[in-house]
Amino acid sequence: MRNHEKIRYVVVFCFLAACVCTFLAANICIGSVKISIQDVLSILVGRGDDSMYRDIVMQIRFPRALAALILGGALALSGYLLQTFFHNPIAGPFVLGISSGAKMVVALVMVFALSYGIKMTSVTMIAAAFLGSILAMGFVLLMSKAVDKMSMLIVAGVMIGYICSAITEFIVTFADDSNIVNLHNWSLGSFSGITWSHVKVMTIVVIICFLCIFFMSKPMSAYQLGEAYARNMGVRIKQFRIMLVLFSSILSACVTAFAGPISFVGIAVPHLAKSLMQTTKPILMIPACFLGGGIFCLFCDLLSRMMFAPTEISVSTVTAVFGAPIVIYIMIRQKSGGM
Amino acid sequence: MCEKYYLQTEHFTVGYDGTPIISDMEICVKRGEILTLIGPNGSGKTTVLRSLIRQLEPIAGIVLMQNVPMNQIAMEELSRQMAVLLTDRLQAELMTVQDVVETGRYPYTGRFGILSGRDRQIAEDAMRMTKVLDMRDQLFTKISDGQRQRVMLARALAQQPDIILLDEPTSFLDIRHKLEFLSIIQKLSKSQKLTVILSLHEVEFARIISDKVVCLKNGKVDRVGSPEEVFTEHYLSELYDIRIEELTPEFREVVDKMNKKGADYIG
Repeated sequence: MRNHEKIRYVVVFCFLAACVCTFLAANICIGSVKISIQDVLSILVGRGDDSMYRDIVMQIRFPRALAALILGGALALSGYLLQTFFHNPIAGPFVLGISSGAKMVVALVMVFALSYGIKMTSVTMIAAAFLGSILAMGFVLLMSKAVDKMSMLIVAGVMIGYICSAITEFIVTFADDSNIVNLHNWSLGSFSGITWSHVKVMTIVVIICFLCIFFMSKPMSAYQLGEAYARNMGVRIKQFRIMLVLFSSILSACVTAFAGPISFVGIAVPHLAKSLMQTTKPILMIPACFLGGGIFCLFCDLLSRMMFAPTEISVSTVTAVFGAPIVIYIMIRQKSGGM
Repeated sequence: MCEKYYLQTEHFTVGYDGTPIISDMEICVKRGEILTLIGPNGSGKTTVLRSLIRQLEPIAGIVLMQNVPMNQIAMEELSRQMAVLLTDRLQAELMTVQDVVETGRYPYTGRFGILSGRDRQIAEDAMRMTKVLDMRDQLFTKISDGQRQRVMLARALAQQPDIILLDEPTSFLDIRHKLEFLSIIQKLSKSQKLTVILSLHEVEFARIISDKVVCLKNGKVDRVGSPEEVFTEHYLSELYDIRIEELTPEFREVVDKMNKKGADYIG
């Protein structure tokens, strides 16, 4: 590693860390009720007097901001894994229909559970989302055998996404329960209504996944060169590919379970991280994607709450506004060669 | 069985989905020798190479490396002994020449693939050997085909292999780079006792570089031996099914020359 590269990596990571702190603070302070940073700090150390402020910070904004950070990171990482898997920068859990698959199964299970009066726990939500992710992923993989062009695979993924969304809409419309109102918000993508127990579960799942993925960074670097070369270097390709699919599915399932489908983060963030770092080395890209995804979602969640306050728009709308142009840019730059 | 062979095959049958492409192949190569596979397009050169490097399961038979069946050698261990240079394009987005060469150290690095000072030194030596050291900071995607092939060779050497397999390494190079590339290979095999198995389209180069030539045709090994044994009169016409009647008089002359001199002729 040359010196100027080292400096670049350090600068980028410092910048990302600073952004995380800034946006975390901004997301806690800004809202329909403005709370100064001093008040927030005193609440966090347990010395806040105003109980309303304390409730807003501790029960609503803080868990929500943490969720945006963790789930955003998970989403970016999930996208990065899929891009590695398909050797293509425009693969991601949303465009390949994996998020929508997860959404569909979660909606099904939710409606079923509600009609029988069963309470859904975070873990069952993740399990349902994971099932949906794997189903959609299986479909995408079958498709990838049938079509040889990556662009066609993306189109197929988008179609799967539409089918799953249509089924979800159908379920939501005909389910006769007032609780379904929540389901509607969730099915568009939103970080609202996150509780501490949610945060606890998602943190555990995402951190474990992150560590496992981080430990896979070496074979990932070999796999990026091409499968034939990776195999020659001793990578067990089949096992490795299964791990990639598995972890990207768990991560996107975790996101969908708590926040619904959130678009384009999985493509935009790895691309931005790569441009910032000027490298594709997984050992650097994995943490950079995670932090970048967190920042991106914190930023988008802030906008989704603030732009038309007090009306909240879905976070997926905001991420699409910023993410989709980046995807178009990647596609144009990639030209026809890689597709 | 001779014990001095570095690599040998026994009843080696290779192909896809159980359909043999080359059957009952017996080849053997000593340490430091160069073995060249030649034959018409589609004769199975690539299939044989892919099977030798365990990218493709052989249908029957075994490959012995220093008398050990290759399928009993762990992939990790094999990757320290065997390096490959394939026709598959190496994907190296944002990677410099040095980055690419350093990926050759993969089998030797730890859990996270962090390079030690020694790993860097070995990669640097490899770059020096193939004369790409001065372009170490250039992006791999921005250099010419000829340079790229030399970088790939440096990468293979950084793996510190005993044997290196190359699939048509000169196919897309101009004549200057073809000559330079094969010269490097020839020098290395002598100086480093490196065993080389490669496939070539250029018969004339095969004759110069090889200790042993294996000719593939019609699903089997047609001939095997030293270049002098293999390239007898008229053999090239026969191996490649050159139809003299379809050629213009000028090119008939070329074929005549080729056949008479064996492959002495350099075209």
